[in-house]
Amino acid sequence: MSPSQKKRFAIVALIITGVGAATFFAIMSMQSSFEYFRTPTQINQDGFDEKQTYRLAGLVRKGSVTRLEDGVTQRFGITDCESDVTIQYTGILPDLFREGQAIVTIGKFSTSEPEERNGKGALLIASQVLAKHDENYVPNEAADAIMLQQANKCDDAEGAVDY
Amino acid sequence: MNPLKSIWNFLSSTYHRLGSPREFYTISQYTTPVFGFLFLALSLFGTYFGLFVAPADYQQGDSFRILFVHVPVAWMSLFVYVVMATAGAIGLIWRMKMAFVVTICSAPIGAAFTALALLTGSIWGKPIWGTYWVWDARLTSELILLFLYFGIMAVYYAFEERKTAEKATALLAVVGVVIVPIIHYSVEWWSSLHQGPTVFVEGGPKMPPEMLLPLAFMAVGFMFFYGYALFLSMQAKVLDNERKSRWVKEIVSDKTR
Repeated sequence: MSPSQKKRFAIVALIITGVGAATFFAIMSMQSSFEYFRTPTQINQDGFDEKQTYRLAGLVRKGSVTRLEDGVTQRFGITDCESDVTIQYTGILPDLFREGQAIVTIGKFSTSEPEERNGKGALLIASQVLAKHDENYVPNEAADAIMLQQANKCDDAEGAVDY
Repeated sequence: MNPLKSIWNFLSSTYHRLGSPREFYTISQYTTPVFGFLFLALSLFGTYFGLFVAPADYQQGDSFRILFVHVPVAWMSLFVYVVMATAGAIGLIWRMKMAFVVTICSAPIGAAFTALALLTGSIWGKPIWGTYWVWDARLTSELILLFLYFGIMAVYYAFEERKTAEKATALLAVVGVVIVPIIHYSVEWWSSLHQGPTVFVEGGPKMPPEMLLPLAFMAVGFMFFYGYALFLSMQAKVLDNERKSRWVKEIVSDKTR
């Protein structure tokens, strides 16, 4: 390389390093705002603000799905296998909704008294329920076995699971 | 003679020949149709296997088949950016005419791949997630990539003088390359609605071979499409850039005769 090429090489390298470092520090200082959702454990540990809208994700707790008396409102627990949050949702659930499926719920926490919800912990009144499919693709012959395995995922989990 | 050395010499001489607009024009006359044919053959094969031979997914059923377009175009949206930024850096450092042409001609192709990735993802999201769009890290960073491509195209056309325009465009392309690792790792660094990586993961792809094969064909096919579209667009750009030189005038007079 000629001297002028070396100089320009150094400038380009410097620009890339500089922009990279600036982006790195900016991202590090804003880490939590890039998270799309929170987990039940985080909510149960840190508490929640009743005025704020939350995006909360977890696996649908096995055997927790119940329908309220009005016939269109459903209640179910979501879990990261460590702790649970109860969700209440009025509307049509996504096709992929089933026990053990990871879902994202969006809404505000109920301010009602614990007795009204059978003494259970936090209750999120969801305005939207989204299904979060995972990165595994499997031929549908094996569907039943996998879905059973998914529904029982928390049975042999030690601590919180990823989804 | 050392075979490695002769391969290196061949690559090096090809690289330098491609650095000359006239040589590039001559060589690309032969390679462009080959790229186009390979794209057609591979993508037709991949489409057939993806739609009719690969089994349906256990939870998404047949709607997962949009993956055979969505995943390759999303990969290409990043791949094109890396090629574009590398060419931009080569142009800035070595003042190589053809490197700038690669940068400028790649931008609209990359933008098209990005737009397609966003569009197919949105169509896929509605039945599976239950929504067309969310502002999670992966979707948002991919949208920023689309605007970055638009910005790069806009900068080039904002300058009267071509050499200034080329340098400014290359610089923006180089600076913007930080978005590539952010998009790639967005689903690992932060929680998102978008799924994590399936294919390039530790312990091998989380997908059976009968789904992986059509995906690989589509991915390589789209790579050749990029080569095809890039060379076509570069040919036109080279003729325009070199319109005052004799060899272009000869070509034009041959064609109009």
